[in-house]
Amino acid sequence: MSRSSPPGLAAGIEEFVFPGEQEPVLAGLEVSFAAGSLTAVLGGSGSGKSTLGRLLAGWLLPGDGGTLTGFLELAGTRLRFAGTTADPRIDPGSWGRQVGFVPQDPAAAVSTVRATVAEELAFGLENAGVDRESMVSAVRHTAALTGLTRLLYRDPATLSGGQLRRLAIGCAVISRPAVLIMDEPFASLDTDGAEDLAALVRNVVRDGAAVVILSQRADVFLHNADTWLVLAGGTVAAAGSPTEIVAAGALEMAGVVRTRPHTGLRPLADAGYSSAFAGPPALELRDVSFTYRAAQRRGWFRAQPGPPADIVLHGLSLAVSAGEILAVAGPNGAGKSTLLRHLNGLLQPTAGSVLVKGRNIGGQPAGRVAAEVGLLFQQPRDQLFERTVEREVRFGLERRQPAADQAVQQALAAVGLEHLAGRHPAELPASQQRLLALATVLARRPSVLALDEPTVALDGYGLAALDRVVRSTTAEGAAVVLVTHDLDYARSIAHRLVRLDAGRLLPAD
Amino acid sequence: MRLHPLTSLAAAGSTAVITTAAASWPLSVTVIAVAAGLSVAGGVARRMLPAVAVILVPLVLSLLAMHGLFFPEGTTVLAQWGPARVTVEGLHFAFERASQLSAAVLVLLLWSFTISVPDLVAALSTRGVHARFAFVVASTLTLLPAISSRLGRIRQAQEARGLVIRPGIVGRAGAFRWQAVPLVLSLVEEAGTRAAALQARGFGSSGPRTSYREVPDPPAQRWVRVVLLLAAVAAIAARLWQPTAGA
Repeated sequence: MSRSSPPGLAAGIEEFVFPGEQEPVLAGLEVSFAAGSLTAVLGGSGSGKSTLGRLLAGWLLPGDGGTLTGFLELAGTRLRFAGTTADPRIDPGSWGRQVGFVPQDPAAAVSTVRATVAEELAFGLENAGVDRESMVSAVRHTAALTGLTRLLYRDPATLSGGQLRRLAIGCAVISRPAVLIMDEPFASLDTDGAEDLAALVRNVVRDGAAVVILSQRADVFLHNADTWLVLAGGTVAAAGSPTEIVAAGALEMAGVVRTRPHTGLRPLADAGYSSAFAGPPALELRDVSFTYRAAQRRGWFRAQPGPPADIVLHGLSLAVSAGEILAVAGPNGAGKSTLLRHLNGLLQPTAGSVLVKGRNIGGQPAGRVAAEVGLLFQQPRDQLFERTVEREVRFGLERRQPAADQAVQQALAAVGLEHLAGRHPAELPASQQRLLALATVLARRPSVLALDEPTVALDGYGLAALDRVVRSTTAEGAAVVLVTHDLDYARSIAHRLVRLDAGRLLPAD
Repeated sequence: MRLHPLTSLAAAGSTAVITTAAASWPLSVTVIAVAAGLSVAGGVARRMLPAVAVILVPLVLSLLAMHGLFFPEGTTVLAQWGPARVTVEGLHFAFERASQLSAAVLVLLLWSFTISVPDLVAALSTRGVHARFAFVVASTLTLLPAISSRLGRIRQAQEARGLVIRPGIVGRAGAFRWQAVPLVLSLVEEAGTRAAALQARGFGSSGPRTSYREVPDPPAQRWVRVVLLLAAVAAIAARLWQPTAGA
């Protein structure tokens, strides 16, 4: 990897301020990414990572998107910005041809007007006027790299969280950009997906692209990076090789999560758990099967013959006692989120029954089951809808009751967000959105807590808060079912671990 | 044989034009019956019904109120309240206009509900229609499903927090007041993010474009389209030359 080659992308940001705000979100920051190099930009929630990523990728345009003083340099051309109307304008289309970007929320990268994964992959190529033959081979090649080959004819709207991330990555790399920026690309990817992505990144770097990975976790793979930049408070707090940064202890200070290198599977933290709480299991599944109703059109006008409806869950049976933590691990698309939606009645099983504290919840509206079962959705944006943090947590609680005020305060305090009660949920960084979603669940004091990929998007402080919450609620007698692709986390916290694969429950090992 | 989206558009459009120009109620009623039959055969009748009701019920009611009650040329009076008179001629005229309008609305709705939007967008862009325009066309047709899926997500989030929604359309309609504000705010926010993504993927660029999706367009269908368009033009011409025909 040549250090002397001109930077693929560089930026000198004296200040970047969002419209209508006083405080800069980025300040005094100089970065440069050489062709054929891998850089990890690490930082906790709210450090300015995502803003930096979007600014470098042309998704956040100086001018309309905020006031930039400083410069951006792409392929040897330097654009200077003084924060005035005379500043140069970036054409996001031509910028995007050289800089590929995978946003933190992969759904944001999808055009929504393409019917299949293959067409979605080709969208950028179509806009660049690439001939069809080259598109077909590029789509095939990219799908193989990202593990999307079997999903090429699926509707993007039906993909699972991890599959959608693979698609967003495919869309960014298909046009072979000189610079590739990815915001939390490893989040919600299973082991296979993470390995595919690691191999892909190595390939892209070898082909001479500058790859920048923004992350709040110092994942094992990121130790292969040439440079680590640690971001804190909108500026570079430390820069150097991974070893230097680790030695300086800069990660912990910035709230970056350090993952342990895999040294084989560690034993369960608390195996052989027996409940100290008497009574029926807090949650029981008896022979639960589920099939999505076929959504395709019947009759003459069928656009394309779709695949037959898949069985998502196959006769699952399990019981979780009060105070117990059960982890369900499994690859992307195994049916994990579908399983959780059965626990609070958002989905009704096609066969079998779900019992909460010994009572069958079949046929009950989800709103009623919610008093007993709290569900943390996989995507905070699917869970948050109110105008302020405080209103968000209060929704659904008995109004104008002192008990509700107290519940809101306690839930916010439990996740450490009490100082943000007046903020708009959409303005919070991802980690805090996730914690807010958790607070909305906690405020109802459910006896079963169902958590869908709870660690995704959490920084070091967030993970610590999650840990506290899970341990204290189980100590009070709640049962926790958490679904995760992160085996290491599952083992660190669960009493019991099961694996869900292609809709079937299997023992963990 | 699969219809090219422009062929089905030409068929729907010219049927609407011809029925309007002909202004003959037996033709209109036939067209309504055929469109209804096709929607059932195509399996879209159930999804189409609410849209049909939303558009046609107020239109037909207002036509009946206007012409049924206040039709100056009407002579055969059936009932009278002050200035309002229900006349046979007025009712006949209202029925004629209503059937004409219903026929046009039905065929166009049938087209929009049975069209493959991706095929249409691909067909439009290969014909050099500006990509933004093609996107707007596609979005208007995908907007309703997008809104309803977003609404579904918000509703699920609220149910998960204790909002009890009775099953069925009445229960959902009753709970809609909780979802209205979050829905609008989230759609506005999403539009902003989507715009950035589309721009960065070269959607706004002005250069030539290609299409990954192939939409077969056999020559026979091109001829059918020409014939359909000529028929529509002929119907308008006939109407202009003989303004009283059929009225």
